[in-house]
Amino acid sequence: MMIKDLSVMIAGKAGDGVLFTGNVLAKILKRQGWEVATYRDFPSNIRGEGTCYTVRASLDKIYGLADRVDILLAFDCEAILAHLPEIAENGIVFCDGEGVAALPPEKTRGKTFHRFLLRSLAREQFGQEIFKNMIALGALSYVLDLDRALLERIISEMFLKKKGKDMVRTNIRAASFGYEKAREMTAETERHPLARKGDDDRILISGDEAIGFGALVAGCRYFAAYPICPATEVWQALVHDMPEFNGVIVQTEDELAALNMAIGAAFAGARAMTSTSGPGASLMMEAFSLAGMMEIPVVIAHVQRMGPATGMPTKSQQGDVLQWIFGSHGEFPRIVLTPGTVGECFDLTVKAFNLAEKYQCPVILLTELDLGQNYRTSRAFDLSAVQIDRGKLLRPEELLDVADFKRYELSADGISPRSLPSYKNGVHVAESLEHDERGYRDEDPANRLRMMGKRMHKLDRASADLTPPRLWGCQKADVGFIAFGSTLGAVLEAMDQLREKKVPSRFLQLRALWPFPAAAVREFLAESRDVFVVEHNYEGQLASLIKSQISPCGELKKIVSSSTRAFTPRDIVEPVLEAAR
Amino acid sequence: MKEKRSFQLTTPTWCKGCGLFGVFDALKSAAASLDLEPEDLVIVTGIGCHGRLNNYFRAYGFHGLHGRTMPVAAGIKLVNPLLQVVAVSGDGDAYSIGLGHFLHALRKNIGLTYVVVDNRIYALTQGQASPTTDFGAVTLFTPFGSKDFPIDGPALALAAGGTFIARGFSGEVAHLAALIERGMRHDGFALIDILSPCVTYNKMNSYDWYRKHVFHVEDSPDYNPRDKARAWDALSSPKKIAIGLIYEEDKPSFEELVLPDVKKPIASLDLKVDHPRLKRIIERFR
Repeated sequence: MMIKDLSVMIAGKAGDGVLFTGNVLAKILKRQGWEVATYRDFPSNIRGEGTCYTVRASLDKIYGLADRVDILLAFDCEAILAHLPEIAENGIVFCDGEGVAALPPEKTRGKTFHRFLLRSLAREQFGQEIFKNMIALGALSYVLDLDRALLERIISEMFLKKKGKDMVRTNIRAASFGYEKAREMTAETERHPLARKGDDDRILISGDEAIGFGALVAGCRYFAAYPICPATEVWQALVHDMPEFNGVIVQTEDELAALNMAIGAAFAGARAMTSTSGPGASLMMEAFSLAGMMEIPVVIAHVQRMGPATGMPTKSQQGDVLQWIFGSHGEFPRIVLTPGTVGECFDLTVKAFNLAEKYQCPVILLTELDLGQNYRTSRAFDLSAVQIDRGKLLRPEELLDVADFKRYELSADGISPRSLPSYKNGVHVAESLEHDERGYRDEDPANRLRMMGKRMHKLDRASADLTPPRLWGCQKADVGFIAFGSTLGAVLEAMDQLREKKVPSRFLQLRALWPFPAAAVREFLAESRDVFVVEHNYEGQLASLIKSQISPCGELKKIVSSSTRAFTPRDIVEPVLEAAR
Repeated sequence: MKEKRSFQLTTPTWCKGCGLFGVFDALKSAAASLDLEPEDLVIVTGIGCHGRLNNYFRAYGFHGLHGRTMPVAAGIKLVNPLLQVVAVSGDGDAYSIGLGHFLHALRKNIGLTYVVVDNRIYALTQGQASPTTDFGAVTLFTPFGSKDFPIDGPALALAAGGTFIARGFSGEVAHLAALIERGMRHDGFALIDILSPCVTYNKMNSYDWYRKHVFHVEDSPDYNPRDKARAWDALSSPKKIAIGLIYEEDKPSFEELVLPDVKKPIASLDLKVDHPRLKRIIERFR
């Protein structure tokens, strides 16, 4: 029987090559034409602790994890014990260890277990344990009935340039060996054959990579950051290419410097950006306010991880939402964008740079580890649709006849012309103190009122420029969901499962949280009887935000979680059915 | 050469006799002798009495946050290396809240001129001890005498790999102006630490006191600012404070090392979406 959706988990200890194996498997499944979503669950440690990598493939569009795992390939028996509850009723387990026999029978019923001594086979056949990963990939290719030539092509792409022909040959032999071993080991009924599809104009990319690429496309030529999990992949995505675009990446001494440096770079005329997470974002709060006061266009990508404090650096969370909306000292305009897919990571990054220059304010790209570090298939990004809008940035020739340049001119829309250092007749001061139209310090009470009004009104008309919330599901339904970011996949699949149980629902996906899309949310609330706000945090920060912005807003039911695991559909279906009872 | 007054925007309102007047004058002289246009100079300031400078000086200015002059100035310089970027800080800005940034900008050898106006006191907040306040000094918040041992900016800079380390005195404006000018010509990071009396809150370190306690390194005929051991000796003098060009060496500047082309500033790049490499990058994800 052909299947339509499948999850394979690779598990072991950090250092076992779990990430490598998972990444290659994801690539094969993508090339096979399937929709792919990966999920890494790893410790904040380089070696020795439990780690796992789930690769899910589907004929349908997917954005995240399924509720169950069909095949587990474990590099040790501890991994099995840790993940037994997630394994499907008829699941298959391969384990490199003797401990399989000792598993309690009541927990293993229905599932098939294979002792697969990957390490010793790798040593015996290929002289080195490291080939265990390729043997494993060969075995999975057999079980999933994948195109063997595809695996060979991917091996060649990976190793030919860096390691040479011999290494390609040995790896291909190891994969074939694994393929044959699996054929010997398993019954035909255990195979999970995947229907082959075309792989037209698609990519497999992580949210962080999509943000990095989006930044390059948008003309970001200055990137300053301090290393922090899970945001470093944004930087990694830029590091090899930036010089080709005449841009620069600077590793700063801390996040205070990173944002101040990006602000200095933007003041001098670059499209500038930084990326960070948790504690780094807290350090950036000071300069965030500076960008607001000086009206400097700067983009901050914040890939959220579990807090508070150092928290759990390799686990996903949506706990820093209100920090960017209400954070830092004083009041100033800011824009907060929340992509939910890798495609939106790209689109909203491009948009972030345009909005920053159009409204001359800091723009936050708020995402989370789950979307940032995991891979999803997407249509290849459309570069022809990208436009660069530098707002009221003047060209040097536009200043030739200007006698009295006012950088902070009190214009009708609150947005003023901008000149850059080196432009004649554009000399001005970017001033962190309250200032007059020319940028000079001014403590006059009437000036303060004028300048506050100018800055705060800049975003009055911005809502038309923001990405509107996306409405998913039925036109009319009693059950409504509101969420943002990487919970998208779980919500959409929960809606499918609820439909099967005759509970129709609709979903408003917020793609900008600030300025708050009040009109769309108000309308959605008015048309739904039971509204569930789904978010990966403890207190329900989005629900609080909605209540603070919409009055009266009626009852909002919260589906929250501070689990280290990403949401799966079950986490949403159960509370909805519970509420209906 | 330009006239000094072309850089003067308004008359400063610092306390009468403040060392900052000498610094202001020296900065204008240095800019004039480099024949700069006001638009080719950016003055980045921190928080303290010195931070009013942008209101008085005709040039592009950035009056940012307390202690953060260095990363801001570095961002500006890297985006447009053709600009002359001068950062001005006080002792609190440079050696307390911004100490980390100072040492890192210096070790990267970014082509900035860093003018640190050291009055050994927090003056704008009305007289608390600073990191350079003398041990035992009685200040607003140290009525029993400061229990902190002071630090020395130029000595820190020498230890951290500085490539241009000078100290001036705001009572000797021509000497100071020559040091700043030389610092601005230096290819790399130039520190000009300035002994600068606060006439209102620091009655101890006055003009007269400094005149009695400074010596010019250049007065020793065999002083060689390229000799690190001599520089250490000068900075370690127990009784007297060395002024002049203390140390200098050649090292590539950060911008030369990291920018693909210093003559092609990021600030004036044409941001095209049709770059052929973009399509090649997409291919990696297929």
